[in-house]
This record gives sequence, C-alpha cells and structure tokens, in this order.
Amino acid sequence: MPFIRTGTLTAMVALALALSACKIIKTPTAEEAAEAASGGFNPERQASELWEPKVLPYLDQRAGSFQEVSALAGSDPAAAGAKYGHKEEQGSAPWTFAAKVSGTVVKAETKSRAAYLDTDVDGDGKADVRIQIGPVIKGTAIRDSLNFVNFNEFKNQIQWAEFGKAFNNHLNAVTLDKLPREGLEGRKVEAVGAYPLPAKGQLPLLTPATITIGD
Amino acid sequence: MKLTRRLTLAAFAGALALGTAMPAYAADLIAIITPSHDNPFFKAEAVGAEARAKELGYETLILVHDDDANKQSQLIDTAIGRGAKAIILDNAGSEASIAAVQKAKDAGVPSFLIDREINATGIAVSQIVSNNYQGAQLGAEEFVRLMGEKGNYVELLGREADLNAGIRSKGYHDIIDEYPDMKMVAQQSANWSQTEGYSKMETILQANPDIQGVIAGNDTMAMGAIAALQAAGRKDVIVVGFDGSNDVRDSIKAGGIKATVLQPAYAQAQMAVDQADAYIKTGKGPAEEKQLMDCVLINADNADQLETFALKD
Repeated sequence: MPFIRTGTLTAMVALALALSACKIIKTPTAEEAAEAASGGFNPERQASELWEPKVLPYLDQRAGSFQEVSALAGSDPAAAGAKYGHKEEQGSAPWTFAAKVSGTVVKAETKSRAAYLDTDVDGDGKADVRIQIGPVIKGTAIRDSLNFVNFNEFKNQIQWAEFGKAFNNHLNAVTLDKLPREGLEGRKVEAVGAYPLPAKGQLPLLTPATITIGD
Repeated sequence: MKLTRRLTLAAFAGALALGTAMPAYAADLIAIITPSHDNPFFKAEAVGAEARAKELGYETLILVHDDDANKQSQLIDTAIGRGAKAIILDNAGSEASIAAVQKAKDAGVPSFLIDREINATGIAVSQIVSNNYQGAQLGAEEFVRLMGEKGNYVELLGREADLNAGIRSKGYHDIIDEYPDMKMVAQQSANWSQTEGYSKMETILQANPDIQGVIAGNDTMAMGAIAALQAAGRKDVIVVGFDGSNDVRDSIKAGGIKATVLQPAYAQAQMAVDQADAYIKTGKGPAEEKQLMDCVLINADNADQLETFALKD
C-alpha cells in the first residue's frame, strides 16, 4: 500500500513535470495584459470572487439590527465596533459597522446620481438612516467593514483604493442597477450593509450589500 | 554554572545594547526631512514633529530635500553621519526613495515616513499617510454638488513622481466620472506649485473660457488658480483644493475658494515622532507599518475651526 501510494505520487510528479515543461501560449485579453502589468493585481476579479462566498455571509453574520447597532455606537463606539464593526488597527479611520435595516422609505432622492433612500426604522415617520442606492456610491464602507482584508497587504494606496471601488462596482452590477427608481416613498425596505460612524448630527450612510424593496 | 553563564551572557547583551543605544558622538537626535517649507503643509509637518521631539527630550535636525531624490540621499547620509536615532521623512518620490530608506536601515537608523508612501514595505518602521483617496472623494463629492452635477471643469494635477498626485486624481475621477454631464476640458500638472498653478490656469483659461470649475490636487495650486481666475475677472468659477492650509481657509472665508480637504499634517508628524520614540526606547514598531489617517472636508461651514492643519472642536 505505501509502495503503491509512493508510486502514484511519483507518477503524478512526473506528469506535473512533463506538463510544466510544455508551454501553452495564448494571446492575453486586454484585461489579462493589464493584470500581468500590475503584478497580478485584479481588484474587480478579487471583489467578485469574494462577494458570494465571503462578503455576504460575513456581513449577514456580523450585522445587528440597525437599532441595536446605532444605539450602542452612540453610547460606546468601541464596544459597538468590537461587536458589529471593523477598522484598521492603526491610523485614524472610524469604525465601520455592519447592520440590518428594516423600515419604510420616507424620502427618495433619485434625481442625483448619488441616489439614496432616507429610511425610518422606528415608525416615527422621521429618517433614521440613509441607504445609498448608487450608481455613485460614496466611500468604501463594504471594504472597510471586512475583517479579512487589510491595507498592509496591498502595494500602495492606489491598489487599496481600486480594491474598495471594485466592491462598489460589483454591488452596482449585481444589486443596485436592478432597483426601481420611481414611486419608492412609503415602501418597505430591507437591507444588510455597512456604514461608517457618522459625524455628529449626520444621518448614518449605509451602503447595502443586499437590498429588497417591498410594497 | 548554567546560571553564571546565563548572567554573563545577559550582562554582555546588556552592554551591547547600551553600546548601540548610546554612542558617544550623539545626544539623542531625530532628523526631520521634508520637501521645501515654501509650502505651508510641509512646514507644519516639520514644526509639528520638532515640537513633539523637543517635548520628548530629543534634539532635532531639520532638513529639506526640495523633492530632489539625489539631495534626499545626501541628507540621509547627513542624518546617518550625525548619528540620528531616527529619521522622520516626507519622501521625494515613492520609487526613488526606497533606496534611501534602505540605506538608513542598513546603517541602523529607523525611518518613520509621513504624508507620502513608498512602494515597499518592511524597510521603514512606519508609513503614516493621509487617506488621500478618501479625502479626494470628499473633495470631489463637494465639487460635484457645488457644480450642480454638471459643467466644464479643469483639473490641476500634482507632481507625477509623487504617488499622492495619482491617488488624489483617481479619487476625484472615481466620483466625477460617474456624472456624465461633468466634462473635463483640460488636465495639466502644476507640480504642487502656486506659481505654476497661476500660469497654467492663465493659459488654460485663454483656450477654454467656458469653464465652471477647477479641482486642484493641493491647496497651493488652488491658490494659484484662484488668483489667475480673479485676475481675469472670473469670480464665478468654483475652485476646490486639498490640504487644508490657512491660506485656503482665509480664501474660503472671503468667498474665493469653495472647499478643501484637511489632511491632519500636524497630528501625523507628531504621531510619527511618538512611534519613533517608542521604537528607540523599546525596539518595537507599531502593529501595522502602513497607517491611514482620515481627511475632513472643509467648506464655509467649518473653515473657522481650521488652524495650522488641525481642526478645533
């Protein structure tokens, strides 16, 4: 038995060697050429490959209800961060929190390319959170909420920025582009996404990873 | 026997550590190397770093490389020769500076980079830089809002060898290009310089009088642009800068430039000195080498709170 296994292994190694010895040359596409030129960096592919298997489950598991997250973030941002959020260990970036919003659209701004839905979650008729629905997506909240990606693993700020932007592009393509843009006020909305700790007096700006608009 | 040997070893190691920590030729010195202080941003960095170093009991050596990589290399030699314990560096180019920082490291002098990155890790102890992309997006969002999401505009770029010029331009375009009615009619480098900002703006304006906005990669170029626009009687053109200098603050308050983005230069420089101090005393660097500092949008609403690259509450 051990002999057979060794034999198989040897055969496999020999096969691998034989395969690596012959070179298959094909003409690279423009995208492949760009990837090769930047040392194998392809943020769009990375983002779309991470999206289903890693990003969506992570946000879903990490998120609390928006009410819980925002209440804790208001009284103790560090505690809220430890439970629902993420930020780079060094530097001065604010916490970015994962949250689930369930509410009613009280105001829809869809004339601007940076469209958004001001959403009431506690039934008082006033907006508690602003959900941005693109196509212009402000900030890089999706990237910044993830605890499994880190600026230090990227060559420089430019690649880190491209990586952040790639999540926004992917989100537009798979989710936001399909959303209706008319008659949104008064409708129910459910979203799971991320938002950075807002400045004083500003509405939290949530970037949804998934969003459903109901009746 | 074992214990004695261990003690001897420890004593020997201790003597070695003392020997390297305190060479006879230098009282604890920190070298602070930046681009020219003509730009108030770099001056604020040097002043911030110097103030913190003095508070912590260090002597300082303030040097400027004028964005010349050869000069920077000589200044690094000077710092090494003077027995500096650490170098606080705002470098002269993200590729060209790798060798200079490596040279300092090889000579046993740790570097703490501020403002600009190099395209390498593991050579400097820290790289503390503004989140230029985040800041540029804030500036671009405000620019687009002020323009009513439409119009012809000009972009003034920074020095090409500086990574920050590219990243800010990218941040601007990642926002602005999403608006099909925003049209860039000219894009030129003015090399971070106020005088070049003025002359480039003058020329661009002659060729393209129909412009509604100018977005500049830093404040000194924005100051040059607004001066050229005002000289041409064009008070209607919206100008946005980047840095958060007192000059631009005053222009915003006087109704000239409309917005800028504050980089916390002073705090950044002080943080670098704190990390240098910790490294000198304990041999430990920060948990992460590359550290991003977030930027803040400055417009008429909060310009009053801005003073020397810091926002008061």
